[in-house]
Amino acid sequence: MLTQRAKQVDRRPMTGLESIYLWNILKGMMITLSHLFKKKATIQYPEQKRTFSKVFRGLQVLNRDAEGRENCTACGLCAVACPAEAITMEAAERLSGEEHLYREEKYAVKYEINMLRCIFCGFCEDACPKDAIYLSQTFAPANYGRKGFIYKKEDLLIPHPIEQPEAYKKALGEKVVKADG
Amino acid sequence: MYRQTEIIKDASQPGIEGDMVINVGPQHPATHGVLHLVITLNGETIKKVEPHLGYIHRSIEKMCESLSYRQFIYVTSRMDYLSAHINNHACALCVEKGLQVEIPPRAQVIRILMDELTRIASHELWWGAMAMDLGAFTPFFHAFRERETINDIMEDTCGARLTMNYIVPGGVMADLHPDFQKKTKEFIQLYKRKIHEYDELVTGNIIFQNRMKGIGYLSPEDAVSYGCTGPTARGSGVSSDIRKLYPYEIYDKLEFDEVLESAGDSFARYMIRIGEMQQSIRIIEQLIDNIPEGDFQAKTKAVLKLPKGEYYSRVETARGELGVYIVSENGTTPYRIKFRSPGFSNLSVLDHIARGSKLGDLVAMMGTLDLVIPDIDR
Amino acid sequence: MYLLALDWWLILEKCLLVAVVVALSFFIAMYTTYAERKVAAWLQDRRGPNRAGPFGIFQPLADGGKLFFKEEIIPLASSRFLFILGPSMAMLTALLTSAVIPWSTPMHLFGRNISMQIADINIGILYVFGVVSLGVYGILVGGWASNNKFSLLAAIRGASQMISYELAMGLALIAVLMMTGSLQMSVIVQNQVQHGWHIIYQPLGFVIFFVCALAECNRTPFDMAECENELNFGYHQEYSSMKLGFYLFAEYINMFISSAVMVTLFFGAYDIPFVNEASWGLNANWLAIIGFIVFLAKTFFFLFVFIWIRWTIPRFRYDQLMNLGWKKLIPLALANMIVTAVVMLLLKK
Repeated sequence: MLTQRAKQVDRRPMTGLESIYLWNILKGMMITLSHLFKKKATIQYPEQKRTFSKVFRGLQVLNRDAEGRENCTACGLCAVACPAEAITMEAAERLSGEEHLYREEKYAVKYEINMLRCIFCGFCEDACPKDAIYLSQTFAPANYGRKGFIYKKEDLLIPHPIEQPEAYKKALGEKVVKADG
Repeated sequence: MYRQTEIIKDASQPGIEGDMVINVGPQHPATHGVLHLVITLNGETIKKVEPHLGYIHRSIEKMCESLSYRQFIYVTSRMDYLSAHINNHACALCVEKGLQVEIPPRAQVIRILMDELTRIASHELWWGAMAMDLGAFTPFFHAFRERETINDIMEDTCGARLTMNYIVPGGVMADLHPDFQKKTKEFIQLYKRKIHEYDELVTGNIIFQNRMKGIGYLSPEDAVSYGCTGPTARGSGVSSDIRKLYPYEIYDKLEFDEVLESAGDSFARYMIRIGEMQQSIRIIEQLIDNIPEGDFQAKTKAVLKLPKGEYYSRVETARGELGVYIVSENGTTPYRIKFRSPGFSNLSVLDHIARGSKLGDLVAMMGTLDLVIPDIDR
Repeated sequence: MYLLALDWWLILEKCLLVAVVVALSFFIAMYTTYAERKVAAWLQDRRGPNRAGPFGIFQPLADGGKLFFKEEIIPLASSRFLFILGPSMAMLTALLTSAVIPWSTPMHLFGRNISMQIADINIGILYVFGVVSLGVYGILVGGWASNNKFSLLAAIRGASQMISYELAMGLALIAVLMMTGSLQMSVIVQNQVQHGWHIIYQPLGFVIFFVCALAECNRTPFDMAECENELNFGYHQEYSSMKLGFYLFAEYINMFISSAVMVTLFFGAYDIPFVNEASWGLNANWLAIIGFIVFLAKTFFFLFVFIWIRWTIPRFRYDQLMNLGWKKLIPLALANMIVTAVVMLLLKK
């Protein structure tokens, strides 16, 4: 595979003028000087925040329908699809009188995502037949311990659309609510 | 396997003739990761370099064997995280080879566009880190500023900035963002404005050139026998661009040059990468206005099963040839998977080229090999 | 009787001056760290520290406070006495140099003529060189006492680099001394006030002196003793808390003092060019204050250049650095000296 197409790079030894290094250094210094008063690229983080794109795959959110009932039926498809095995769940039967809480007869008593394992690939969202989980445009905030990164159901659930309509709208963001799920 | 205590004992004992043995890494700014180099020094001159690997070994190959053909692709983003998209591409190509699916032309073009953007992003970061290794800090920030633009483009379309997870077997995950063409063209304009700055600040700097020229000579024969690929091999004049030699997708229909230099020293490897960025820009310019209409994903079954057999595919990542080898037993998961990562072979050449040069040169040489440690350890 | 015969006012005056100069060196060194971070940020399209106080001006205080409260670690295998001696020497020598710098014209207060120079000794330049060459020991002792191979390598590099560059520095200066005919700082300044700055007569000498000053302060591109990419911060790798702070601070004080020395030797110290200050009719005190401000302004310019260079260019390799020092700068300085001598002889005849 050795080919003869290779080019020769300039390999002359330094000339006397170059060997004092001055001229080239001055050129480089002029470049940096020109940056002295240019527009700064910094985003002042806590005050300014850059907006994520609409398709950004961030923190998972467990969805509710328009009446505030949880969509998840604990079918476990998301857990199977997850390449990082980050999702743990436990299913339970819906009792009578809980119809306003859960949409289907089965629901997740326990739903945990380990954000340290999660690779934010979005497979859970793809796998879900009930539109119960989606990835939002934010990321998991820092925490002091590993325990804090295991997100429980309460951490993941979207705010109630009727009781806390404003928080719900904010959490929903750009997401379009499907009528039937 | 070494036990930790043995390494320390080993390294603190003077070698023959009272040489000094120093441990560079695993936590050392020059290694850009957790690479451990045991260096035998005679004064400032290097007598031997011994890389110790495994600090970030996550057994990705073994992990992939328990994951389905859709899932394992995304784990490979974590190998060479700087060209994550190209890693995914290689795996998808291998799976597609087994599935015998036809990839829609639109998906092919999108993949190549993203590949080349990733390559530029990777080389930008390398350029900044390279200059920083030699003590110039400002280029690092300038390179990151331009790289940020690529990350934004990636985020718009792929949904993530570094580990894109954009490729699925049979195509790509989602269609391009409506602004993709506009933003990419803006990036090309920006890049062309900035490239002269790069030249004046680093490439043309005589101190920089003095530290690169004639340092770390790798002969073409050695490059072949050590299995070097990518810019490391091309710097020695060995043609090794997979895009030219074994074209995949539609690379054979595109016009671009394989950048080759004959000098084989650090500066040649440096110039190769600078040239490759321009070739990537050239490829993007050819494709950006000619993205075919149509599907972005071929129809595939929900659960993929590869027929019994062995499959191998290779792509050109930013660092060299990445090979993916899958043995299938007709199951939903691969029976055995093996990645031929470019970084591993490129690192093996370090001892050979570093002997006899100065300690300061070692940093420059490691810079031009463009090591990404997770890629080496996997 | 002997004690009474001493001029106690003079001692008080000098003590005060010493206190002011040391405090000023500390203050300027502190804010040079701030300036370094700000200028570096601007050159890199960033903003730099802006959280502590308006525009981040309390950042150096925060940094200093942090260093004081950090845990102090002395490695078990180190030589304890030398480990503490290292940073102390670095700091001491950095502060000593300022004794011979003529900060301004004399002031007239309380019926006394107060010189704005701590000690106007007749071997001023030699004193500077003597103290600066002691500065090597701070790095050498600290690096050696750390019992760390990286520190040792860095210390050896630092020592040989500083010794080599001192030679070129001294040779570049001889041309200036020949023109002045004196080693006394005040005479050198007076000569410049009368005949124009030395930079006009000795541009090459200045360039050599400047390059050597960069090397003496361990600044990029000559930061062989630190170079974080090869040697992991070199000689002060094992240091923590305020001992590390002393090393870092000493570097900035060195920068300030070497800028001041450059201003004194080549840029006329407190002299304002093209203007005869005496004709303004101001009293001596005002002139002294203006002179001092002018002196500081010139010094700050050089501090900026130091920072600007650091954030622009890559560093040399060790052998290239030695080549530059011994094979380029020393012959150039010698040639410069000989040319100056010949020209001076010709002009005299």
